[in-house]
Amino acid sequence: MSFLRILLIAAAFIFIGILPVHAKDMIVKEPPKSLSKYYPPESKQPKWIQQMHKMSTHFGGIFVNLKEKDYENVDVHADKLVEEYKKTSEMVPEWEDYFDIKAVEAFAAAAKTHDIAKAGKESGGLGKTCGKCHAEQEISVWAKFHWPSFHKIKVTDPISEKEVEFDDYMGSISTSFKGVTVNFGEGQYGRAAKALKVFKSRYMELKSTCSKCHATQDVKRFYVGQDADTSFAGLSQELNSEKPNPEKFWKNIGLLGKTGCKHCHLVHRTNSFIQKVWEQ
Amino acid sequence: MRRSSQIFDLIIGVGLIGVSGFAMLYFLVNERFEWIPEQVLELARDPEILKRPPAKKCSECHKIIYEAWKDSRHSISWTSETFIEASENRSKEKCLPCHIPQSVQGEKPSPRMDLRDEGIYCVSCHFIDNKMQGPYDLLAPPHPTFRNPDYVRSNFCGSCHQKTFKEWKATNVEDTCQDCHMPRKKSRLTQKAGFNLLHKKRWVGDHRFLHGEIKEKDVVMEPGWEENFFIISLKNQTIPHFVPTADNGDPRLYLYIKFFNEAGEEVDNAKEIIAPQQETALPYNKKMRYRYRLFDKIIKAEVELKYQPAWSKEKSTLRTETVLR
Repeated sequence: MSFLRILLIAAAFIFIGILPVHAKDMIVKEPPKSLSKYYPPESKQPKWIQQMHKMSTHFGGIFVNLKEKDYENVDVHADKLVEEYKKTSEMVPEWEDYFDIKAVEAFAAAAKTHDIAKAGKESGGLGKTCGKCHAEQEISVWAKFHWPSFHKIKVTDPISEKEVEFDDYMGSISTSFKGVTVNFGEGQYGRAAKALKVFKSRYMELKSTCSKCHATQDVKRFYVGQDADTSFAGLSQELNSEKPNPEKFWKNIGLLGKTGCKHCHLVHRTNSFIQKVWEQ
Repeated sequence: MRRSSQIFDLIIGVGLIGVSGFAMLYFLVNERFEWIPEQVLELARDPEILKRPPAKKCSECHKIIYEAWKDSRHSISWTSETFIEASENRSKEKCLPCHIPQSVQGEKPSPRMDLRDEGIYCVSCHFIDNKMQGPYDLLAPPHPTFRNPDYVRSNFCGSCHQKTFKEWKATNVEDTCQDCHMPRKKSRLTQKAGFNLLHKKRWVGDHRFLHGEIKEKDVVMEPGWEENFFIISLKNQTIPHFVPTADNGDPRLYLYIKFFNEAGEEVDNAKEIIAPQQETALPYNKKMRYRYRLFDKIIKAEVELKYQPAWSKEKSTLRTETVLR
C-alpha cells in the first residue's frame, strides 16, 4: 500500500471521527427490558407513563401555585416532585444516569423561596435531565408500549378463511388489487370483475381488523368508510356494464388509494416499521 | 292411658308451636323483614360479603346462580383463550373496562385491579355503591339487598353491550335483553340447607346469559333469478337487534353460493360475510339484498348459511338450499 493511500485512509478516519453527530440524526433504540414491568401485560396499569404524569403535574403545580401565590401548595408540589423524581430514578436501572437528584433538590429549594424568577432559573437544570431522556427514549417507549403491535394481529382471509399474519394479509390485498387493475388494463373486464369481488372482500375485512384496536366506528370509517363504498360501487358499476368507462374506473381506483390505503399507511406504517425491526 | 294422652298432647302442642313459629318466621322473612330489629340482623351479617369477595363465596348460598354463571361467557371474560389472543395478552386498554368491570351501573365501567380471573362476576353486577343490589328488596341476613329496577331493564346490559343496546332501542321492541338472554323461572335464591325453606320462590333469571340460537324462522332467505343475475335476500325477522351483534367481538354469518352449469359442474361461487365489525350484519326486520352477475350459463345455485360465534373459529351450518333456474 502506497504511503499516499495510507495517508488518505488515515485522513478519512480523522475526518469521520471529528464529524459531529448531526442533531437531526436520530437513533430509535429498543427500550430496556426492565421497563416492561411498568406496562401491561406485566403490570396491571401503565405505571411508567403514570409516573411521568405525576412528575409533570407536580412540576406544573409549582408554577401554577407560584402565579396564584398559593405558597402552601407550592411547597407540597415541590416535596412531591422530589419524592416522585427519586422514585422514578430507581425504576429503570439502565436509565439511572438520566436523573440528577441534586438538580431536582435545587429546583425544589428554589421553588420553596416562593420567588418565581428563582424557580424559573433553577428549573432549567432539571428540565435538561427530562429533555435528554425524552429526546433519546420517548419515541421508542411510545412505539414499544403505547402502540399495539401490527405484527401480532392475525387476520382471517375472507377468501381462504385461514388465519394469516397481518403483513401477509397486506400482501394478499395488494395482489388482489393488481388482479383488478392489470386485467382492466388488458381489457379483460370479466376477469377484472371477478378479481374485484376478491379484492373488495379482502379490503372490507380490514374493518374487522381495525376494530381489533379501534373501539369506535368513526375511526375505522376514516379508513374504510363512505369513500371506499362509493369507490367499490363505482368500480362494480363499470365492470358490470357492457362498455366500461376507463376514466371512471381509474378515478375510483385513485379515490380508493388516496382515502383508504394512504390514510392508514400515513398514520400507521412508520410505527409498524419500527416495531417490526424489534420483533424480528 | 292418661300419661300417653299427655305425651300426645305435648307432641301436638310442640308441633303446633313449631309450625306456627315457622309460619311466622316465613312471613317475617318474606313479607315483613323490616319488622326485624337491625340489632338482631347484625348478628347474622357476614361482613366478608361486603368486601367484594370472589364468586365462590356467593356460591355458599346461591348455588344455582353460581353454577349457571360458571357456564356463562361472563365467567371466562378474562381467562378465555380468544380474549387473551385478541387483547394481545390482555394489554389492550379498550378491552379492560368490560372484561373486568369494577361496577356495572348503566355506563361504561372502570376496569378493576383485583380478582381479574373472575371476569364479569357477582360483585361486578350486584355490588353497586357499596350495597348489594338486585331485582328484589330482600332480607338476606348475611347481606342486606336492595331493589334496583335496572336489573330487569336493557340499559343495565347496555353498560357494556352499548352497540347492541342502541340497535335494540331503535327497534322499539318491548322485550328486554333479560327477557331473551336471562329467561326467568320460579326458584329459590338460596340453596343453603335450612335457609332455602325460609325463602319463598321468586322469578330468577338464568345467569348463563343464554346466547340465542338462530333458527330458520329468525332469518328468512329468499333466492331468485333475474336475467344474468342471481339475487338473494336475507331478513332478520325476529331478533330485535342486528344479527350477529357485538360491540368489539367478531361473530359472523357466512353466506356461500355455488353456481352450477348444465353439466353439473361448479363454475362460479360467491360469498358474503355478514358481520357487525364490517357493518354488514342484518338489521331487524329489514330485507338485505345481494346480487351476483352470472358470467356463465347457470342452471342451479346452492346456498349455505353458516354461523361462527365471536369466541370460536368453528362454523355451524344454519341452513342449505338448492335453487333451480
